[in-house]
Amino acid sequence: MDSSGSANADSDPHGAQRPLSPHLSVYRPMMTMMMSIAHRITGAGLYVAMALLTLLFIGVGMGGAFYAAFGWLGSSAIGGLLVFLITWAIYHHLLGGVRHFLWDRGLYMDPKGREALAIGTLVGGVGLTVLTWIAKSLAG
Amino acid sequence: MSTPTHFKSGREGRGAAFVADHHGSEHARFMRLTSYALAPLGILAVWYLAGVVGLSADGVRAAIGRPFPALTLIAFGVIGMIHAREGMNEIILDYVHDPALKDKALRANQWAARAIAALWTLALMLIAAPR
Repeated sequence: MDSSGSANADSDPHGAQRPLSPHLSVYRPMMTMMMSIAHRITGAGLYVAMALLTLLFIGVGMGGAFYAAFGWLGSSAIGGLLVFLITWAIYHHLLGGVRHFLWDRGLYMDPKGREALAIGTLVGGVGLTVLTWIAKSLAG
Repeated sequence: MSTPTHFKSGREGRGAAFVADHHGSEHARFMRLTSYALAPLGILAVWYLAGVVGLSADGVRAAIGRPFPALTLIAFGVIGMIHAREGMNEIILDYVHDPALKDKALRANQWAARAIAALWTLALMLIAAPR
């Protein structure tokens, strides 16, 4: 028997029973962690969003019964709210990528810098979304 | 780029995802390369998407049926779904631990991403087609 306490379930009969080290439950919520989670949620959400927008475009492209079924995604208030959320998710996920791009180059890795960058993702995403929709409504 | 994993971490059940499958740097590089294209395309896509809200079918066609918006959105959709497929693969590897279910989920993801990209492209071509 492997007395070193390996986590390998094949060589250690007790491997599967051993507790995992605590991770999420012992962490104080930090901005970097929150934005990491938000990055994954917006990413998965955009996968679904692309499917919804595909339905809308099929409705517009095909017309008739297809538009009757999916046109609400573009024309109704709920559809408008969904598209608004989708544009926010794109900006948020985009800025999350920029954050990783900077970190990959070793920039803003200090305690203050990384928190500031994470807050920047959150504020920047919301800010860019609001600015875009204001600009769009002004442009007509 | 995407490989259905036959890799075995040595741990089963809880914790199986916490052992690296040695594709990390390949994945990171692929995501970064696709995002170089997606960053500008995404900003343009947001602009066009914000512009179709509240419009009739004819209004949407007029707004994004021109060549540049249509081609931009097609590029965003296709590259975006390739990027999204890789991202969803990682999510599946992290959260789906049952080997059989994991294989099914990874395969479903391949086809769902392809279907969305193909239908997205087809729909925008229909919107942009002269009528």
